[in-house]
This record gives sequence, structure tokens and C-alpha cells, in this order.
Amino acid sequence: MDTPSPSDTTGGRTAAIAGAWVVLLGTAITTVGLSWDVQWHQEVGPDTFFTLPHLALYSGSAISGIASLLMVLMATSAQRAGRPLPPTVGGTAVRVFGGMFTVPLGYLISGIGAASFLLYGLLDLWWHSIYGFDAVLNTPSHVALFLAILITMIGSIMVFAAARDQRWARAGILIAIPTLITFAPIPTHALTNLPMPIDPTIAGIICFSPMLLIVGAGILARPGAAIYLAAVLGAIQAFLWWFSPWAAETYAAGIGLPLRDGLSPQPPDLPGATPMFLVVAAVAVECLFWMIRTRDLNARKVMLVAGGITGLIVAASLPLQQGLTDPTSSISPVEIVLITILGIPFGLLAGFLGARFTVMLRALAPATKEAR
Amino acid sequence: MITRTRRLAVTALMMTGLCLAGATPAIAYTPVGIVHTERVQAGPYGVTLGFSTWPIRAMRSLDFTFIPDGGIAGKSGTLHLDGPGVQSDEHVTPLVRHPRKLASWGLDVKAFNSPGTYSFGFVIDGPRGHGEGTLRGVKILDQPGPPLALSWVVGSLPFIGLVVFLGVAWRRTRPGRLPLTV
Repeated sequence: MDTPSPSDTTGGRTAAIAGAWVVLLGTAITTVGLSWDVQWHQEVGPDTFFTLPHLALYSGSAISGIASLLMVLMATSAQRAGRPLPPTVGGTAVRVFGGMFTVPLGYLISGIGAASFLLYGLLDLWWHSIYGFDAVLNTPSHVALFLAILITMIGSIMVFAAARDQRWARAGILIAIPTLITFAPIPTHALTNLPMPIDPTIAGIICFSPMLLIVGAGILARPGAAIYLAAVLGAIQAFLWWFSPWAAETYAAGIGLPLRDGLSPQPPDLPGATPMFLVVAAVAVECLFWMIRTRDLNARKVMLVAGGITGLIVAASLPLQQGLTDPTSSISPVEIVLITILGIPFGLLAGFLGARFTVMLRALAPATKEAR
Repeated sequence: MITRTRRLAVTALMMTGLCLAGATPAIAYTPVGIVHTERVQAGPYGVTLGFSTWPIRAMRSLDFTFIPDGGIAGKSGTLHLDGPGVQSDEHVTPLVRHPRKLASWGLDVKAFNSPGTYSFGFVIDGPRGHGEGTLRGVKILDQPGPPLALSWVVGSLPFIGLVVFLGVAWRRTRPGRLPLTV
């Protein structure tokens, strides 16, 4: 009689679900903490290492890291007992440290991201000891921290993608992809140190949001997936739009600090940079994916087109979004035209990469029940 | 297996709790310590500029305080900054209270990214009328710390690692050749 794999037992299945969701919970807490922290600096100001938003930022990565580590220990233990976990638990397993550990690839990436975050936290502390508590995003230590978070989020998506034939994993993808869409443009602040024809953050939004929308819809491979992804993104955006100013003001009131003088009525930074018209692009993606399903078209070519159209819609709608939500916005007509035009090549690149990343994520584990 | 899973879950909860308990946020903020002052006359108003570090170095953030004689009550105005590291939207800004030194105007944890000579101009309106004055020749020295390029190389390592990982995964899976359906 075959010994059941740990993931086939109730406890093993619970651990697999818990591991994936706790990693995602950590990334969500980090995202909320970052949005809160940015708002805190805008509205209130003073900084020390030990603030509540920083606690959220660091504890989020700690939670993801601990969950990843425990899943690595579980996979290693199962491997040594001769009952290796299937690739649906975190993806294909790889051996590290000379075979000492057996690590599902998704948890390896999320764990490396979380560990890097904590290591770069030390670099950040050193940076602040030399340069002071600068509340700007484009320093080497801050950019490294953002990249570490980004890597953890990619690991989280990999974990859910490996188990995509199960309902809980598809629900996880519906949250993990919009979380990364919200966060992904942040590391592009590094490029603000270079002379660029457009704001690098805008370029990041135009490139990453179409790519991730296509990847999410491609992994889920179900009608309506792109629209669900855009709807969840809208919900995250709405929550952060309300929460970030509320939390900053409540925290300031709680410790007796006033708000800054002369605050302009700007939208909160992080949700303000999330493309609120992505749902329009999602409808276009759905139509194109429907054509792939019904007319047996080449999926890669159609995804390329989907990327171009999504990039164009996101690029053209960003200035409109800024005009609607930010009274202090001042994008010139030349910039609007440039951003809109750049949306096409950036979107095509997003479509090209989106199709390939979809294939790579699916290769993490063979689907057992991909029938719709 | 279930017992082991439970043990792992309890360990995870305990470790998370310890992480959170060990990071209780402080609510006290460092007071603004002024180590150097300069004076400038803006019409009828004498203004004392305070600097929390001196000399000033590029990229190193510090607190600036601007206190007109008699305090800021009943006065308002604008700060006019000029110098190689001043951003386009920073040249003219309203004089606002320093968030940790509310009896004075100021800039909190502000860094200028380029060394060079800067000027701080003040346009003040108050009970004694309108006044303008500029403190010129404030030197900002070269940045402290290691060369910036080295810091960026260290800060870019996660990006380099991510690109390498994607490159290896791309080579192994050949995503352009595998079948793709949606």
C-alpha cells in the first residue's frame, strides 16, 4: 500500500493552505504598512525607526518569512520521511545547502525575499545613521527593501499558482496579483535619480499592471478572471484610499502630534498611483481571451495584443485619473501625449512577458483539474 | 503528521507573537537640537535660522528652523530656496511650522542632494508690514559615507538576483515553446 503524501492528509492540506495564506497575509500587512507610512510622512512628518507603520512593514515581512521557513522545514521533513510533498505545495522542490533542505520553489523565493528585507533593514539603519532619517523612497537602502518585498510577493504568487487547480489557491491569486499590481511601481522610484522623459513610476504602472493582469488571467484561465482581478484591485485601492489618511491622522492624534501646516488636498500616494480604470482594460482582455477560447487563436499572439491594448488604456487613463483625483496635478499636454504613446510599446512588452511568465508559473506544478 | 503540523503552527504563532512583542513602537520623537544659527534681516523682521547639524553635507538630512523675532504668531510668508540641489517645486514654498518645534517655522529631516552654495530667502508679512531678506552663501559640503555608486550596487543586489533567477527559470522552461491555453 502506498504511503499517503503529507499534503494528502487533512493536516498536511491544512498546512499547505495555511502556509500560502500566511505568506500572502504578510505581504498584505506590508502593503498596508507602506501606504500608511507614506501618508504619515506626508501629513504628520516626524520619523523614528519605531513607528506603528514601520512595525506593520517589518512584521509583514517577518510573518511571510516565518511561514516560508516553516513550509521549508515541513517539506524537508516530508522528504526525509520518504513522502515528498507534491509540487502543488509551493511548486517544484529544489535541494539547497548541499541537499540539507528540500525547498518548494515558491517558498524559496518568498523566504529569500523576507530574509533579504530583514537584512536590508540593517542596511537601512546604517544608511540613516550616516544620512539621517530622510523620508524619501529613492535611496539605495529603501529601494533594496522594496525589491525584497517585491520578491516575497512574487513567491506568494508562485505558491498559489502551483496549487491553481484548487479553489483556495485561485482565491489567493485573486488577491496576490492585485496586491503586487498595487506595490510593483514602488521600486521604480530608484529611477527618479536619473533624467527620464516621463516619471518612472508612471512607466512602472503602465508596464506592470497590464503584465500582471495578463499573468493573473492566464494562470486562472477562466472566463471573468481579468474582471475579478480588476475588481479586487479596485477594492484594495478603495480600502487604502480610506485607511491611509485615517490611520495617519488617528495615530498622530493618539500620540499628540499635529498635522503639518499647509497640507494640499492630494490623494494618498500608494492608492492614488493604482490604475483605477484597469477594469476597462480587463473587459478588453476578457474579450480577447474569449476569442482565444472560441476561435482557437494563438494565445501568445493574442496576449501580446492584449498587453498593447491594456497598456494603451492604462496610459491614457492615468492623466485622467490624476486630473479627477488630484487638484494639484499639473501634467502638460505634451506629457499626456508622450505617456499615452509609450503605453503601446510598454503594453506590448507586458503582453510578451505576461504570456511567458504565465507558462513559467504553470510549469511549477502540473494542473490536475484544469477543466473549467 | 497532524500533531507535527499543529506543533509547527504553534511555533509559528509563538515566533510571530515574539516578533510583534519585541517591536513595540515608541511614541517619543527626538527633539530638534539646534547646533548652529545664522541671522538674516527680512525688512522689519530679524530671522534666526537654526540648523540641527553643521556643517551641512549633501544628502544628509537635517532640521531647519526659522524663527522671526517675537515668534511666528500673526506672521506668514514664503521660503525662497536656491541652490544646485533644490527641486523645481521647492523654490518657493509657504513658511510652515516645524512638526517637532511648533513655535517656529522650519523644514524637517530635509536633505539637499548636491553640494554647492545655497540661499535661504524669506518674504514675511506681519503686524510690522512686509519684509524680504535672503541669507546667501550657505555652503553644503560633499556627501558623507561611501561612494554613492557602491551604495547603489549593494542596494541593487535583490534586483540582480531576481533577474538572474528569472533568466535561469526562462532557460529551463523555455516558455516560448511550451503550450499555452487560457
